[in-house]
Amino acid sequence: MKTAFTAAQLAEPEIAAADGILRTCVHYGFCTAVCPTYVLTRDENEAPRGRIDLIRAMLERGGRPDAKTVGHIDSCLSCNACMTTCAVDVDYLHLADIARAYIEENYRRPLSDQFVRRLVSRTVTDPARFARMTALARLARPVRALLPGRLRTLVDLAPAGLPPRRDFAGVHPAEGARRMRVALLQGCVQQALAPEINAATVRLLTRHGIEVVVPPEAGCCGAFTLHMGKADMARAAAARNVDAWHAELDVGGLDAVIVNASGCGTVVKDYARLLAEDPARREKAAAVAAIARDVTELLAPDDLKLPETAVPLTVAYHDACSLQHAQKIRGRPRALLRAAGFAVRDVPEGHFCCGSAGAYNMLQPEMAEALGRRKATHIESTGAAAAAAGNLGCLAQLGRFTGLPMLHTVELLDWATGGPRPDALRDVALPEPVARKQTVAPTGAPGAPPPAPPPDAPSDASSGGSTGAAIW
Amino acid sequence: MSMDAFLNDAAGGLGAEHVNTADETLVRYGENTMPGGDRRPAAVLYPGSTEEVAALVRLANLHRVALFPTSTGNNMGLGTRSAPAAGMAVLDLGRRMNRILEIDEKMGFAAVEPGVSFQMLADELKRRGGQWMNSTTSGPPQGGMIGNALDKGAGYGPYFDHFGFSCGMEVVLGTGDVIRTGDGSIEADNLVNWHVSKYSFGPILDGLFAQSNYGIVTRLGVWLLPRPPAIRSFHFAFPDDSDLEEIVELCRPMKMSNFVPTLFRVANDLYLIGSEVPSPAYAASGGRKSISDDARKALQREHGLGAWTVSGAFYGPSMEAMEPQVQRVVGHFCASGKATYIPHEEAMEKPALACAVASFSGEPTNTELGLLKWRPGGGNAWFTPGTPMDGRTANEFQKLGRAIYEANGLDYQVMNVAGPRFARGLHVISFNREDPDECARADAAYRALADAFYARGVAVGRAPVDWQDFHMDKLMPSFRDACAAIKRALDPNGVIAPGRYGIY
Ligand SMILES: Cc1cc2nc3c(=O)[nH]c(=O)nc-3n(C[C@H](O)[C@H](O)[C@H](O)COP(=O)(O)OP(=O)(O)OC[C@H]3O[C@@H](n4cnc5c(N)ncnc54)[C@H](O)[C@@H]3O)c2cc1C
Ligand code: SF4
Ligand code: SF4
Repeated sequence: MKTAFTAAQLAEPEIAAADGILRTCVHYGFCTAVCPTYVLTRDENEAPRGRIDLIRAMLERGGRPDAKTVGHIDSCLSCNACMTTCAVDVDYLHLADIARAYIEENYRRPLSDQFVRRLVSRTVTDPARFARMTALARLARPVRALLPGRLRTLVDLAPAGLPPRRDFAGVHPAEGARRMRVALLQGCVQQALAPEINAATVRLLTRHGIEVVVPPEAGCCGAFTLHMGKADMARAAAARNVDAWHAELDVGGLDAVIVNASGCGTVVKDYARLLAEDPARREKAAAVAAIARDVTELLAPDDLKLPETAVPLTVAYHDACSLQHAQKIRGRPRALLRAAGFAVRDVPEGHFCCGSAGAYNMLQPEMAEALGRRKATHIESTGAAAAAAGNLGCLAQLGRFTGLPMLHTVELLDWATGGPRPDALRDVALPEPVARKQTVAPTGAPGAPPPAPPPDAPSDASSGGSTGAAIW
Repeated sequence: MSMDAFLNDAAGGLGAEHVNTADETLVRYGENTMPGGDRRPAAVLYPGSTEEVAALVRLANLHRVALFPTSTGNNMGLGTRSAPAAGMAVLDLGRRMNRILEIDEKMGFAAVEPGVSFQMLADELKRRGGQWMNSTTSGPPQGGMIGNALDKGAGYGPYFDHFGFSCGMEVVLGTGDVIRTGDGSIEADNLVNWHVSKYSFGPILDGLFAQSNYGIVTRLGVWLLPRPPAIRSFHFAFPDDSDLEEIVELCRPMKMSNFVPTLFRVANDLYLIGSEVPSPAYAASGGRKSISDDARKALQREHGLGAWTVSGAFYGPSMEAMEPQVQRVVGHFCASGKATYIPHEEAMEKPALACAVASFSGEPTNTELGLLKWRPGGGNAWFTPGTPMDGRTANEFQKLGRAIYEANGLDYQVMNVAGPRFARGLHVISFNREDPDECARADAAYRALADAFYARGVAVGRAPVDWQDFHMDKLMPSFRDACAAIKRALDPNGVIAPGRYGIY
């Protein structure tokens, strides 16, 4: 696409970066068919290609953005489905980040909007504040009808209660011989809302000979605020984490920085870019980003320490956008779950976002709800007894629309390798355990889970993977 | 003729929300990847049922306006969603008519509406336990069965011929009448054979609706293949351009006996490498010259691929059980000593070959779309002649085509998709659509290629929207007259896509 920036505009690094990205878009429009907001509205401005055009016009014009453009950028989920499909690899993710930061700086939102955004960005990123606000929301629930619409949404979305707080800061030694040493991001909201995920992660990793360190200084990764255009807040969060992890790297050495919330993982893997203009940290950020891994990338299916028997529970695996589209991880979580003995089902329309998308479900509740219901219906249609995903945001969002137990992948892996039965499965009637050799029956045996694909092979069926023995 | 009055009446019938005349929509629906420019429509309409499509066709007759149907709208390299001319009203059938109407797991067929994509059907079959697979293209996963079959598109497995493996249609004719084809045509409501038997009483009308403009298809039966428990591919890299002769001779007997159940994908270096990386040579010549032979050799080495790489696959009960078949193919292809064997596991590490495997496995994939960025600027057109499975002829065509690409400063990117007697030669013309000179060369190359192949008795399999009239003009006059006569009979006012495939 041709652009018309002036030389003065191009002197600004952000505009120059945007220009480089904009020029690569050639308007094929493959992206539109997979964009959730377009599929639901059929409005070209609610599609990536439309947004790219609007961003170009906004940045070229300069000055104050118009409300229409802001509305269409706000409604983007940052799910990155468009980037997976784009034939020419247009870097929409970073273009949208630039646009959001531009809007944040140059647009005056209505006061109510400003208030809600500030509330969300401050609350969600700080576990203590999140706990206080949850308590407040509980008190407000009886009078929710009196609240203005946006606040009502926040009250509705707030959890009914929070589990007791747990802090994993410190060193968790490996069981047996130490194979690796990793830092774990314990996160912000996840720490308050679902500490069992970090607990399962620590158990799973230490059980497999991996020492886990959680530096107390590290905290929120900055993803929430980054996607809201609050780039300075995001950079501050990133800087704190980089300092903390790099210190560990220097002192005890680190094989990886482990993230078990994929929305955060995407941003941590991108720290080098986020802190590129911070001369003191540029290199440290690159070093940290280079060893950032999703938790499922660390363990290979063959590494799992499995007991004699397995519970062949049928699990629908939901691909979080940040895992499948941003980090391109699809095969590994499935392979691990299968190796652990679960029967894994794919969810139809798997490329679609569930509507959680960071703070999206708080800021764009209607679209988020439509997508959440749609995804929940697809998950239920698989006939699975439970669903798994690698991102807390998806679990919380989908939990609102389905009665199926929603679990983090690591909770299932922890359980299958000797950890406690996850709380979410407390009331679920489990299938009888089977001797493990039966669960790894030859490819395609009736009723057996399909074989594990090679890690992240482009296609799940390419080396078998059907239950078609009956007709073959 | 009054488009305004038509749109007014259409909004009354469909609801105003299903008639879109927003500027940004019209711009986008006119876009394509051809050298000839965009073709902005007058409106985009979203009918929700066969009845609504029929009502729109009757209204179009009343107001004498032209309609252009599109289903999933992913006709990349052939026209995207562009009508043959600007100013038509696009019927975007896929937006609301996107249901899988039926899947019969006993008889192995699905009946679909126009908006059902390859990805949707593949997802649904997987959800049902993966006993069945649909044939998919290696193009856009969001393309769909109806649009692709009607354009005579193809996949790569045993059910590759998407029109041939469809069975039973529902069609709105240009008059607004609705017909069911095949065994669906009986006046009854228990149409048990509609999607299982193609040829019963009466003429076979289905073919009339492929690559034509005689009707709008609103339902299609597609046959499904039992998904094998395991799929094991094999690949052979050949070092020289002229090895095509040997390759074709090797493929023919393997397909004639159907020893290999898939088609052979015989892809040249730049077809495969182009789906992975942009041209490293473009910038140096500003796109005025073809990439050099030395640069091609370097790319082949870097990617571990040949001047030609052949791919095929076996279907069987397990990977191990197919070992004897694979050994036989390896012995056959490696006999002359020219080929390098690339086994399945190694191929899965190479995106372009993993894409081939996906296409044998009914798995939609985005990988090949990378071809669209070989040159910058988004120009892409497909020239689709074919060759009999005779090595010398295929090689002669190869030299001919390559020379025309080079004369026009373009890069030869071809995949021959080989069956027992015939191979379709998918020629990609990648060009910078933002550069008028390159556009002119792409157009000139296309015409020169077509002329050269016609001179040797070869037509194309599908025609991009820019050159449909050009191709129709090459056919014998009596054939053209017959096409026009059928148009007058089924669509007397010429309201459906006038000019599509050169038929008016
Ligand atoms: C990199 C690349 C690889 C490709 N690989 C392949 C391949 O392997 N095989 C292949 O076949 N193609 C391939 N293509 C070409 C093309 O993208 C696909 O064929 C695609 O599926 C066609 O688009 P569609 O299915 O969305 O159909 P549509 O765009 O919806 O329809 C195609 C045309 O058919 C007509 N039509 C559509 N619906 C109707 C209807 N209901 N009634 C009457 N007429 C109708 C219209 O004229 C329309 O333009 C490839 C393209 C690219 C760029
Ligand atoms: S972002 Fe990519 S797919 Fe979307 S219009 Fe631009 S080039 Fe096409
Ligand atoms: S990130 Fe998601 S919602 Fe945003 S434009 Fe891309 S596909 Fe659409």
